[in-house]
Amino acid sequence: MKQFLSFVIKESRHILRDKRTMLILFGMPVVLMLLFGFAISTDVRNVRMVAVTANSDHLTREAVERLAQSEYFTIVATVATPQDAERLIRSQKADMAVVFAHDFASKKAGVQFIVDGADPNMAQQWTNYAQGVLTNMDGGLVNSKMLYNPQMRSAYNFVPAIMGMLLMLVCAMMTSISIVKEKERGTMEVLLVSPVKPLMVIIAKAVPYLVLAFAILITILLMARFVLDVPLAGSLFSILFVSTIYILLALSLGLLISNIAQTQLAALLLSAMVLLMPVVMLSGMLFPVESMPRVLQWVSAVVPPRYYIAAMRKLMIMGVGLGDVMKEVGILLTMTAFFLTVALKKFSTRLE
Amino acid sequence: MHAIEVNNVSKAYGAVRALDDVSLSVEKGEVFGLIGPDGAGKTTMFRILCSLLKPDAGFAAVDGFDVVSQMNEIRRRVGYMPGKFSLYQDLTVEENLKFFATLFGTTVEEGYDSIKAIYSQIERFKGRRAGALSGGMKQKLALSCALIHSPSVLFLDEPTTGVDPVSRKEFWEMLLMLKERGITIMASTPYLDEVRRCERVAFLDHGKIRGIGTPAHVLNEFADIFNPPGITHAKTTGYHNENVIEVEHLVKAFGDFHAVDDISFTVKKGEIFGFLGANGAGKTTAMHMLTGLNQPTSGTGRVAGYDISTEHEQIKRHIGYMSQKFSLYEDLTVAENIRLFAGIYGMNDKDIATKTDELLEKLQFADHKNTLVKSLPLGWKQKLAFSVSIFHDPAIVFLDEPTGGVDPATRRQFWELIYEAASRGITVFVTTHYMDEAEYCDRISIMVDGKIKAMGSPEELKKQFNMPDMDLVFTHLARQATRSSD
Amino acid sequence: MTLKYLIQKEFLQIRRNAFLPRLIVMFPIVIMCVMPWVMSMEVKNIVVDVVDNDRSTESQRLVHSIEASNYFIFNGQKATYKAALAEIERGHADVVLVIPQDFGKQLVLGRHPQVLIATNAVNGTKGAMGTAYLSQIVTANFMPTTAAIQSRVTSLTLYNKEQNYKLFMIPALLAIVMMLMTGFLPTLNIVGEKEAGTIEQINVTPVSKWSFILAKLIPYWLIALFVITVCLLLAWLVYGITPAGSVWLIYVLAMLLALFFSAFGLIISNYSDTMQQAIFVMWFFVVTLMLLSGLFTPTRSMPSWAYLTTYVNPMHYFIDAIRTVFIRGGGLPQIYHQLLALLAIGIGMAMWAVHSYKKNS
Repeated sequence: MKQFLSFVIKESRHILRDKRTMLILFGMPVVLMLLFGFAISTDVRNVRMVAVTANSDHLTREAVERLAQSEYFTIVATVATPQDAERLIRSQKADMAVVFAHDFASKKAGVQFIVDGADPNMAQQWTNYAQGVLTNMDGGLVNSKMLYNPQMRSAYNFVPAIMGMLLMLVCAMMTSISIVKEKERGTMEVLLVSPVKPLMVIIAKAVPYLVLAFAILITILLMARFVLDVPLAGSLFSILFVSTIYILLALSLGLLISNIAQTQLAALLLSAMVLLMPVVMLSGMLFPVESMPRVLQWVSAVVPPRYYIAAMRKLMIMGVGLGDVMKEVGILLTMTAFFLTVALKKFSTRLE
Repeated sequence: MHAIEVNNVSKAYGAVRALDDVSLSVEKGEVFGLIGPDGAGKTTMFRILCSLLKPDAGFAAVDGFDVVSQMNEIRRRVGYMPGKFSLYQDLTVEENLKFFATLFGTTVEEGYDSIKAIYSQIERFKGRRAGALSGGMKQKLALSCALIHSPSVLFLDEPTTGVDPVSRKEFWEMLLMLKERGITIMASTPYLDEVRRCERVAFLDHGKIRGIGTPAHVLNEFADIFNPPGITHAKTTGYHNENVIEVEHLVKAFGDFHAVDDISFTVKKGEIFGFLGANGAGKTTAMHMLTGLNQPTSGTGRVAGYDISTEHEQIKRHIGYMSQKFSLYEDLTVAENIRLFAGIYGMNDKDIATKTDELLEKLQFADHKNTLVKSLPLGWKQKLAFSVSIFHDPAIVFLDEPTGGVDPATRRQFWELIYEAASRGITVFVTTHYMDEAEYCDRISIMVDGKIKAMGSPEELKKQFNMPDMDLVFTHLARQATRSSD
Repeated sequence: MTLKYLIQKEFLQIRRNAFLPRLIVMFPIVIMCVMPWVMSMEVKNIVVDVVDNDRSTESQRLVHSIEASNYFIFNGQKATYKAALAEIERGHADVVLVIPQDFGKQLVLGRHPQVLIATNAVNGTKGAMGTAYLSQIVTANFMPTTAAIQSRVTSLTLYNKEQNYKLFMIPALLAIVMMLMTGFLPTLNIVGEKEAGTIEQINVTPVSKWSFILAKLIPYWLIALFVITVCLLLAWLVYGITPAGSVWLIYVLAMLLALFFSAFGLIISNYSDTMQQAIFVMWFFVVTLMLLSGLFTPTRSMPSWAYLTTYVNPMHYFIDAIRTVFIRGGGLPQIYHQLLALLAIGIGMAMWAVHSYKKNS
């Protein structure tokens, strides 16, 4: 027990002494949360619009006025021909144009939007909004209701994703590097030859990272709740429960990587290639899984964070009970058991 | 029952036979030496005995337990200090020691007596991080960590490489104390004086045992390897009047600490100047100032006619440098390394090609022109590194412990190269921990605590201190040190 | 001329490395063949549940047109709103459409009965777009006048006429290529020499700072150019996507971004002692720069304080300019100010980088 404690203390010292890495490990969640919470959004806002009017009659002016007054658009110029408008769009002075026909006043029609289609989603949304402002859709048949995220803030979607990514990074990457570092430096030989059980060495190495992971998890949850105003709709217990499984899974992956890699650089690249890239790309963190081609959806089925992020979105944002995430929890548990077994089996008590 | 029993053990890595049918046995309480050139299979032997590697064939037992099937018993009984034993750089001296003590189930207090002789030298730096210690100091801490517990069998793989002679003596005195407590010790070493302190030694070469017996017997039988005839060197006194290095009141301070504390000396053209000192005396710092890697805090110096604080880039044009830590790019071939460094000094392709062939011919390396440096034995690397550092005919070549960890025969060949360079008028500025090498120098200085305590030819110094050899002169001076780290 | 030998050395070392040559070959292939498929934020396959409390011919018609739409996946009818909500909670559906009782009757009477569209808005974009499309279907079915007005408002999409997300993302991928090839790799290389101690040997030779740094960077610049060329070729072969503007402008932009990333990497390597540190610090800054660059989300949607940071973000200038050239077919006049900004930032960083590298301390 004393040996175990002294191991944990030593490992914690390694972590605490590397100030720069510590700064990044705690700075990263804070900065990412702030960025995703406040800076990154796909709201339609400040769209620069050019008005193309042939004659400035009352009705046309009124329509332009209405667009300008909406919170979405700013009229940056008024030009005479669509060609002029297109030139402005091409040189990135404007994002879209509204063209009024000669007879707009008499026929109450003949409006065309010219939109910069470089970003298809945004182009689509801009036209939808502009159309809404012009045709004034009230008295329609639809009463829409945005569940769970009435203001449609991106933060709701991203907070669980950030958790999935950072916990993986801290647990898997840091653990594997710290084990491989001992191999590279030659201290592993001494540890192996010492009377201490190899299993204890591994567990002692994992404990500080486990604590670190929980510290980061709690930082994120606190920030989500009190800085970003993301409600923690579900029970805290189930959030922590599922996160614990995920952290264990990430630790076993780190251990597995440390078995394969011989140098720190290899461990770094391996975790970046095998863990970080798929997490960012295939877990549904930024890019929805259901929009991917079949083949990639199959690949994403073996990416553990996919299930964690899905479960967290349900638990945190939608506020469902543990019963509704059983599928995800089941898959995570199976994966943890599998990777942990393989990692411990592969952990060699000799040098070969 | 023998403490260590090895019967017909073989081990191969791919096509390389690291150990080939090796058998030996060590009595309980014996100090047994394992000697042989780099790549002879010593480290493999240690690893097998510590149960870190499985032998391909044969049987080995330590303390009566089989290294393959009774791994856990072995690991409870042995202590091991690997060749590249490295400490936790970001832990302090004391934290390292405490950690290893707990690891082996003991405490610093309990084991203090067995490490006192060495640990007391670094104890006042116990709050400092291991990464901030000088090379030799790290080695001393590593030794303390390895000896803190009392195993029944202790394996030490080249434990004293890079350690100054005084500390090496203290280390071996500690080992003999352990022996009295009944601990069996198996150690490898490139130092002859250490070999002589063993009760029996085995000479391992290319994975085979060439001889086992008392040190005197083995060293005598293989005298051509271990005790090559001394080199006769006609000490030229002809043109020793032009100073190529002039240093006056040079100081390098890190905060309050004066690593180099007011040194002054001159070196003449074509001289072989030995720059001696214990670990942490300030040799490396002084060398870094002379080669333009560091700015002096105060004082002046000129190297090859250029000022060391203002004209360091011109100095670099006229010197060669070889350090023990790094010499060549491991992932380039022999020819590619030569080409790179020759190119850096502005030689053209044609000259490089002809001179490369000449050099490889001379070193008898022609067959290995396109071999990766990584796969060369250590001694070859060092000879090659030296040849590369004087390839561009510099005025001075700086050698920082160039022969660390190399067997006597290779070291002798290395010094032949040095003499040849000196005969071409190249000034040689060399640091070493081998006192036999100190005797080879034209003139030496001995640094203690950042100051030069003695300077002169080996004969003059021996006469001055009334000692029969350099080893005693050095020990006498180094023991006066009051500080032990830089 | 020492540069020649140093560059040769770098190339030899890259070639001997077990990992790098594979990375250089595999990277453009993965980037171009997989990433455009992954990096699509296209909203599709929205799963709809319908709660039909009316069961009139009108409500049937609405259900049929949803089934017929290829935008939605019709998941079936649910008995109650509560049952449908449970489907959403389990993650089986994204949207619920509730048709009220007497919907058909009210319509015939000329009233405006309201259907309820409840969307899972955890992903805001998906929620908003799903709602918009579903409303359009409802309106088109039952409000001929509004539909008619809407149909007279036409819209013309410029540049990316097929609304192809890949076209939008491919130029941005070039930024990622440059980041890895000219940012991360040289940084690791230099910190590696530091850790191995080989940099000390170089520091005692008369090699000038500039030659040493240039020798480190030039090989990676060349590799980056090669990789970009392969990427452009693959975009053409795999997706039939070619730049709308001039190719040489794309190379100029890429080189300017390379200047920035190289300098940035050098600064980090000069201040870090270990690879781990260097990678983490670099990763941190790169992620921040990338998120604030408009690569994934429009910079215009940012709050004003965040928008201000884009003025010093070279990634933002690059993404803006390369999309103008690649998608909108812009030329030099359209992007000159981004070019100037990139150049200024690049030179500033390069000066800092050379200043922070010291052969003599």
